[in-house]
Amino acid sequence: MTGVRAGFALYLALMVGAALGQEITVVVFISTVCPVSNSYNLRMKELYRDYAPKGVKFEFLNANQNESQMDVDDHSRSVGFPFPVTKDANNAMADRLGAEYTPESFVIDREGAVRYHGRIDDAQNPARVRHSSLRLAIDAVLAGGKVAQPETKAFGCVIKRVRKPS
Amino acid sequence: MSPRFAIPLLLAAAVWPQHKLASVDESGYRAMLKSSAGSVVLVDFWATWCAPCRKEMPLLAKLDARLRQKRFHLITISADEPEQEQAAVDYLAKSGISGAAYLRRAIDDDKFIAAVEPKWSGALPALFLYDRQGKLVKSFLGETEIATIEAAIQKLL
Repeated sequence: MTGVRAGFALYLALMVGAALGQEITVVVFISTVCPVSNSYNLRMKELYRDYAPKGVKFEFLNANQNESQMDVDDHSRSVGFPFPVTKDANNAMADRLGAEYTPESFVIDREGAVRYHGRIDDAQNPARVRHSSLRLAIDAVLAGGKVAQPETKAFGCVIKRVRKPS
Repeated sequence: MSPRFAIPLLLAAAVWPQHKLASVDESGYRAMLKSSAGSVVLVDFWATWCAPCRKEMPLLAKLDARLRQKRFHLITISADEPEQEQAAVDYLAKSGISGAAYLRRAIDDDKFIAAVEPKWSGALPALFLYDRQGKLVKSFLGETEIATIEAAIQKLL
């Protein structure tokens, strides 16, 4: 299942949800072709499987201007994503959140505040993971606590943005 | 050498991991720059999985060859995983890179990236230009025209 939504509409949906105090939202920018992003496909499915039943809302976004809706649909089908992937038209949501690479994640709390921003975990190879940064952040926000490391960095593929007049 | 010693040595050489690229981490990065003091240095963070990085690599190799006599150094740091080290070595050779080449082996990428440039997210491609005193002058984050990179270098030569 996929869909196209303009960045602003998506942002509005997130904010309205937050205003109603509904749920926490995890936003992950992904790519169909970035090998780093693809190395996380299984881990993203596991995140969705583990946290969606706990009321966490997921928004998986593709903001790369060189990856079409058809590319996104084909990729989702071929890797068997159980969640929709939304095309972030004109990378509006990426601009709003300041996303720069794939895979890059954000945790937004019930008040609409970004509580975590950065890597999913600290190793492309799952066997070498020591810090499951995104999971730790989601757990902390769900528990109403403080995220120990709210900003992290990781090597990833730059988001290919639409050129906009500066 | 007697076969009694030669055979175990050959076996050990085959089994032990062969590191073809020098390793660099967050503490080694500063030392690496220090060793190039007096030269203008362009550090290219790249990876075999980064298509735009691969595209610019042969152009950077040509730039390096052309400007080296003016005390310019191109240093490449691969962000590849250890399993891709050989692929990185092969691509460097194919691109004509002959300068210093490293593989990042940071304990924590988060700290390494922040140590290089706090404003950098870790997105590749990323190039960092240092003057002859080792001061960071310009960061090129994302795809950048080679002419833009050369113009910035020429100002420092």
